[in-house]
Amino acid sequence: MPQLALTEAVFYILLSLQKPLHGYGIIQNVETLSNGRVKLAAGTLYGALNSLVEKGWIDALPENPESRKKEYVITKSGMNVLKEELARLSELVDNGKRLLGGN
Amino acid sequence: MRRVIHKIFWIWQLEKEQAWVNEMASHGYSLEHAGRFTFVFEETEPDKYIYKELFLKGWGESTENIKYFKFLEEMGIKVVCYINYPGTCWVYVRALKEDYPGGIELYSDIDSKIQYQKTMAFYMIFVSVITFLAASLNLSVVISALAAEGRFMWLNSLCAGFMYGLFVASVIATVKAFVNMSKLKKERTIHE
Repeated sequence: MPQLALTEAVFYILLSLQKPLHGYGIIQNVETLSNGRVKLAAGTLYGALNSLVEKGWIDALPENPESRKKEYVITKSGMNVLKEELARLSELVDNGKRLLGGN
Repeated sequence: MRRVIHKIFWIWQLEKEQAWVNEMASHGYSLEHAGRFTFVFEETEPDKYIYKELFLKGWGESTENIKYFKFLEEMGIKVVCYINYPGTCWVYVRALKEDYPGGIELYSDIDSKIQYQKTMAFYMIFVSVITFLAASLNLSVVISALAAEGRFMWLNSLCAGFMYGLFVASVIATVKAFVNMSKLKKERTIHE
């Protein structure tokens, strides 16, 4: 079964978690990646992180006793989902470019 | 210097209450504690903090909410106080205005905004049912006492009136939540 589209927030969260990051780090990273366009709000990020952990697409790392901030990192199945989504997005972009003639 | 103000806001006046607290903060009175009808402000420099009122499932001290509060704190959003109600709590959070110049927005996509309104709507339905039952029970006591003994039960009529008031308030809040939800759902069919 083809996978359903990921939300923009989830796509950027998974992309950010190639290396371990805590919540605020994710928000900053997504903002940088999107040149300031996507600003994740704390509550939305919190909900997304919990759902992603539940799905097994990301892992919550054991808490660092110094910073006391929880860090997250992508899992193998998260990587697969991300790659499939990238293929889906490429299809959209390719078709868009082909039919609109823009390049 | 501390300043204590007693003020009543009804359940559907969440935005009004929040706007008032933020206006106080812009004049240099920062909310330190809020009770049901009491607001305690501390004098600070004007515009130091920006406030937001949240509605959450479960009490403030529940494990789930404590985890959430800790997460928010990592983002520079601190819980000022919360008031527990059956199955829910109203929370005041604040952040430095320089960190959140446009105000604290906790939801950045439509889905989580819908979820928030849904939680609110269901809670308000629950409150409507309870208050309606309580009001009707009191009213029936008043009517039967009046019919049987010709006695007018002041306390029960007062209770009934108050509960009918709360009932109307929660119905208004329910309708408001459903209207917000349907607007968001319409938007959701074309946008994420």
